[in-house]
Amino acid sequence: MNPLELTLGIMTAVGGFVDISELVFAAKAGSTFGYALIWVFAFSTIGIIVFSEISGRVAATAKQPVFNLMRHRLGLKLGLITLAASIVSNLITCAAEIGGVALVLNYLTGAPYFLMAILMAAVMIASIWVLPFQWIERTYGLLGLFMIVFAAALVAIHAPWGKIAGGFVPHVPHGLSTKELLTFGYFAVAIISAVMFPYEVYFYSSGGIEEQWGPKDILTSRVTAILGMALGSLLAISILANSAQLFGPANVDPELPGTAALEAAIPFGKWGLILALLGMFFAIAGAAVETCMANAYSIAQFFGWIWGRHKKPWEAPRFTITWIVLFLLALAIVLTGVDVMMLVEFAILFSILVLPLTYLPVLLLSEDRKYMREYVNGRLAKTLGWFYFAVITVAAVAALPLYFLTSGGNG
Amino acid sequence: MLRKSLLVALLLAGCSKGPQADLQYIKQARSLGSEWALINEQARQGKLTRVYVSSMHQWLRQQLQTSSSALSVPNARYAIEIHALLQQPDDAPPQELRARCAVLKQIEDQLESA
Repeated sequence: MNPLELTLGIMTAVGGFVDISELVFAAKAGSTFGYALIWVFAFSTIGIIVFSEISGRVAATAKQPVFNLMRHRLGLKLGLITLAASIVSNLITCAAEIGGVALVLNYLTGAPYFLMAILMAAVMIASIWVLPFQWIERTYGLLGLFMIVFAAALVAIHAPWGKIAGGFVPHVPHGLSTKELLTFGYFAVAIISAVMFPYEVYFYSSGGIEEQWGPKDILTSRVTAILGMALGSLLAISILANSAQLFGPANVDPELPGTAALEAAIPFGKWGLILALLGMFFAIAGAAVETCMANAYSIAQFFGWIWGRHKKPWEAPRFTITWIVLFLLALAIVLTGVDVMMLVEFAILFSILVLPLTYLPVLLLSEDRKYMREYVNGRLAKTLGWFYFAVITVAAVAALPLYFLTSGGNG
Repeated sequence: MLRKSLLVALLLAGCSKGPQADLQYIKQARSLGSEWALINEQARQGKLTRVYVSSMHQWLRQQLQTSSSALSVPNARYAIEIHALLQQPDDAPPQELRARCAVLKQIEDQLESA
C-alpha cells in the first residue's frame, strides 16, 4: 500500500463525495427537520461504503464491470430494462450536475447561465479527452476539498455539538403530523438515493478495471472507500447542521443551490463565500464527469464494446462517441431551461428506482466462489450487503408515492 | 383497501385546486422571501460579493414569479402577499421582506393545521 497514493485516493474521495443532490437535500433536510436526518446520511454512507468495497473487490478479483455482470446475471431482457432505466437516471443526474455547475459559475462571475452551461460542457469534454483516468478523478476530487469550508463554518458558528451527536442516533422526531411524517419519509428516501447514487458504483468499479486493480489492491480500495466516503459524508452532514442552525430559524428552506454558500459567508464573509462556491463548483463538475462516464461505461460494457479512458479516444471509438453524445444530450436538457432543482428531484427519483437492480448482480457475483475465490464475501459483507439491498428495495417502492403525497417534499 | 386509499390520495395530490393545493407554492414563496432577506442582511454587512448578490436576486425573483404564476387562486390573500414581495426592489430592507414572509408563514400554518 503506497501511503502517498492512499492519501491522494482518500482526499479525492472526500472532495468528490458531495454532488448537487446531496448539497440540495442536506441543506433542505437541515432547515426542515433540524438535526433529525443526520443519521440517514450516516446510515446511507455505510451503505455506499459496503457496495463500493464489494464492487471494488469484484473489479479487482473477477475483473468484471457492473453491466457485463448485469447482462449475464439478469438476462438480456431485464438487463436491457435496467440499462435503459440507468441511462435515463444518469442522464438526468448529469444534466442536474451541468446545470448546477453553470449556476455556481453564474454566482461567481455573473456570466449568463446558458453560456456557462455550454462553456462548462466543453471544458469537461476537453478534460476527459486530455486527462488520464486517474487525473480526471483527482483533479475534480482534490479541488472539491474547498468544501471543507462548510465544516470550518460549523465550528465557527459554535454549533450545538450535543444536538448534532444526537442526530447520529436513528430516530423520528416526536409530535410530527401525518403530513410531516410523510415529508420526513420522503427526505429519508431522497438522502438514501443521493448518497447511494448508482453512478457511483458504475464509476468506482469501472475505474478499478481501468487502473488494472488486482487482489493486492483490495486493501487500498477498502481503506479508501471507508475513510474517503466517511469523511466526505461529514462534509454533507456539516451542510445539514449549518442549515439547521442558520436557515431553519430564519424560515429558509433553501430553494436555490446558491443559498448553501451563505453557510460559509455568514461566519467568514466574502472569502468564505468564494471558497464555498469554488468547492461546490469542483465537486459538482466532478460529479458531472463521473455520471457521464458511468453512463458510457454502462452502455459499452453491456454491448461488449472496447471501453476505457486508459485507451486513446480513437482506440475505443464507440465508447468515445457515446460519452461525448451523452454529455451533449445532458447539455441539451439544461438548455431547454428546465429548473435545476426539478432535475435534482427527478434524478433522485429515477436513481432510487434503479438502485436495487444495480446492486443485485454485484451482490450475487461477490458471493460466487468460482469467480471470487478466497475473496468471496465474508459474513459481515454478506449480512450488510443483503440488509442494504432490502433497505434500497423498500425505498424504491416508497419513493414515487412519497413524492406525490408530499409534492416533492414541499408538504 | 390500502392500495385504494393510496390511489385516491395520489389522485387528490395530483389534481386538487384551491388553498391546499397552493400550499407548496406558499411555502416556496415564504422561503424565497426569507432567503432574499438573509442575502440582503449579509450584503449590508459586506459579507457577500456584488456579483453573487445580484445573481441571487435574479434567480430569487424568477422563482418567486414561477410560484406566483402557479397559484390556483390568484386573488387570495397569500397571492396578494407574494405579488407584493415581487414588487419589492432588489435591495429591499430585510425587515420589510421578513414582515411579508411572516404573513405568508401565518397563512401556511393555518392551512397546515386545517
